[in-house]
Formats: sequence, C-alpha cells, structure tokens
Amino acid sequence: MTPKINVLLVDDSRTVLAQLEGILGDLDGVAIVGMERNGAAAIRVADESRPDLILMDIVMPGLDGLSALRTIKSMHPEIRIAMVSSVSGDATKAEEAFRLGACQVLGKPFDLELIEALVESVRRECDESRAGEI
Amino acid sequence: MGVKFFGQFLIDSGEVDASHVREALHLMDTENKPLGQIAIAQGFMQECQVARVNAEQRNSDLSFGDLAVEMKLLESDQLVAILKAQSMCRLPIGQALVRLGHIDGDRLGLLLDGYKTDQAQYDVASIDLPDGLACHRVSRYVIELFPRFMLRVARMQVKVGEIQTFDCAPEFAEVRVSVPIKAARGLEVALICDLDFGEALAHAASGLDPCDLDAEMVADGVGEFLNVLCGNAGSAVAKEGHPIDLGPPDYEAELCDGWTVELAVGIGRAALVLSTF
Repeated sequence: MTPKINVLLVDDSRTVLAQLEGILGDLDGVAIVGMERNGAAAIRVADESRPDLILMDIVMPGLDGLSALRTIKSMHPEIRIAMVSSVSGDATKAEEAFRLGACQVLGKPFDLELIEALVESVRRECDESRAGEI
Repeated sequence: MGVKFFGQFLIDSGEVDASHVREALHLMDTENKPLGQIAIAQGFMQECQVARVNAEQRNSDLSFGDLAVEMKLLESDQLVAILKAQSMCRLPIGQALVRLGHIDGDRLGLLLDGYKTDQAQYDVASIDLPDGLACHRVSRYVIELFPRFMLRVARMQVKVGEIQTFDCAPEFAEVRVSVPIKAARGLEVALICDLDFGEALAHAASGLDPCDLDAEMVADGVGEFLNVLCGNAGSAVAKEGHPIDLGPPDYEAELCDGWTVELAVGIGRAALVLSTF
C-alpha cells in the first residue's frame, strides 16, 4: 500500500479548516496530521510532525502566514508549503510567498482541481524521494 | 477561481511551475529599478531624500511616490515622469519567463489573452457611489463582486439595493463582522445579518451540517466569506497599482458611521456597512 502523505492545515478560520478537511478527506492517501489557527502553532507542529505538505493562510492574527513560512522553510526546507489566501491575486503578496519558498499559492474561493493537482504532485515527489532512499 | 496575478495563472494552467516563477521574480528584482533609484537617476531626488522617504514608509500606508510628494521632496509632475519611466523599462513577469526560456515567446500573447479572459469576470462596471465612497475604488469592487461571490461561494442570489448614509445598526444585525482594508485611504467593510442569513452562509461556506454550527461558527463563516470578498476586491485594486493590506476579521464590529448598502437576499436579512478610516 502506498504510504499516505501527511498534511498540516493552518488557518485562523474554523470554516476554512472544515472546508479543507472536507476536501482533503475526499482524496485517497491523505492524512491530516494537525489543524492549527496561527503561525506560531504552525511552526511548533511542523517541527514536531514534519508533514509532507502544509496548507497555510497568509493573513492571520498574531504571527502571519508569510512569517511562519519563512521560519518553517529555514528549519525544514524539505517541507512543501502552499499558501492559501483571499489576497493571492495581489502580486506583491503572492510573489513574496514564492520568494520565501512556497510551492503554490491557492486563491479563495478554492479551486478543487488545483488542490487535487497539488496533492498529486506532492505525492509524486514523496514517492520519488522514498524510492531514492531505498 | 478568484482574482489572480499572471504568474499564478500560468502555474494554475500548467504552463510553468513555482520554481520558474521564483526564478523570474529574481530576474525582475535584479532588473526592475525601484522608484527612488529612478528619481535619483533623473536628478529629481538625492539619495538621502530617498532614504528619508523609505524610513517614513514604515509609519505610513502611502506608496513611495505619494509619500515623497506629501513630504515635498518630489513634485507631482516629476512623480508622473518617473512612474512613466518605471513602467517603460519594467520587465514584466511574462517577459521574464520568456527570457529564461520557460515560456515560448510566440505563445506569450496567447497566454495573456487567456489570462484577460479568465479575469474578465472580475471587471466592475461603474456604479453610482456617494461622494465619500467614490474615491475608494475598492468599495466599488466590494459592492459589485458581492452578488457574484454570494452565488459562487454560497449559491445564494443577492441583489444590491440603495446606498444610504449610515444611521444606526438595523434591528436584524445579530451577526456583525468587519474586515479592514488598509490602503492610502482605508475602508472598513462590515457584513451585518440575522441568524437565518448567517447560518445559510456559514453552512455553504464550511460545508458543515447546519445543526453542527454554533454561534461562533456562524460568525466565522460570515467572516470568512467577507475575507474572501474583500481579499479579491483588494487584489483587483492592487493589480491596478494601488497596494492594499487586508486585516483579519473583527467579530465584534462597532458600527458608528459610513454608508449602508441594502441587500435583497432570499434567506433572512443582510446589509453591508462601509466606512472609511
């Protein structure tokens, strides 16, 4: 059996967490390892659980998503982080996310096909790196 | 889905990947001169004056150019001249990707046409706004995009009614959530509604069963919808060259002034309240 990819969800909105949980729950081979509501918690859980993929909001109270992205990438560059935001159409924010190492910037409302494609590409990369380790 | 910048559109369309966009952004950073450097090159400002404006920007939401004019370090006609010079020599992301060999130059025009078609749904026609709101371009987007996003996110039909000076919070305002859009001129957008409307919106936005929605979740659902609406409205304005910063939703919005936008909704009652800051 193919191992599942571990995903951490980070958004201050419970609505978005529920939405993403529902979307990812419908996909095969995805395990949600945590749902956090701010950047500081995201850094802590990412460090502890080393997920394959993090889906994280940009605008959050306290430590925002871009700051958390910077910190997590500096600690664990191998973790793929996709930013999720309603302001993804603002080139300044989206470009900053890519500069900091985001692998994707997903706009809101969500496009299911883009989320599926993202999960699929992460799955492929995980399979390749596992094969390389053998 | 939603307002997006060209690089994102290309990734979503499978034309390039994030590493290509990152490479293009690096090239653009190297080649595209900031406004201050152009002002120095054209002899309009000195290095120390540019540094003063840069330092002052930490305390201001104004762009470099607007702030330099406000600080009387640059004339308005000089700002126009340097903005023109900047746009003429600016390397856009599409050209950067072509230069790096990630996109075929012959296809760029076609891809830009596809991008314009994709984003045309977010164009707004001119609506009559009261004087105090007319100068806030983002308010136009918020009002015009509201019914479109209600339909898309919640499958709810909404019509925008009259815009009136805010008097007092209506009796039906059981849920009050606001989102600040910080820009040169800030706009606070509040969505107020009764529980019927709030529950219908939260149910549609979260996908959760209505009986699983507590009061906090209803407010959260309304806030998330407002966040999506304001984020896309702000992004549209940012694409026109006016930077914005979106704050997180405030679930205890105080309504004291501004304008009420009446909304005709199929379930319950709701209105938008826009106020400037």
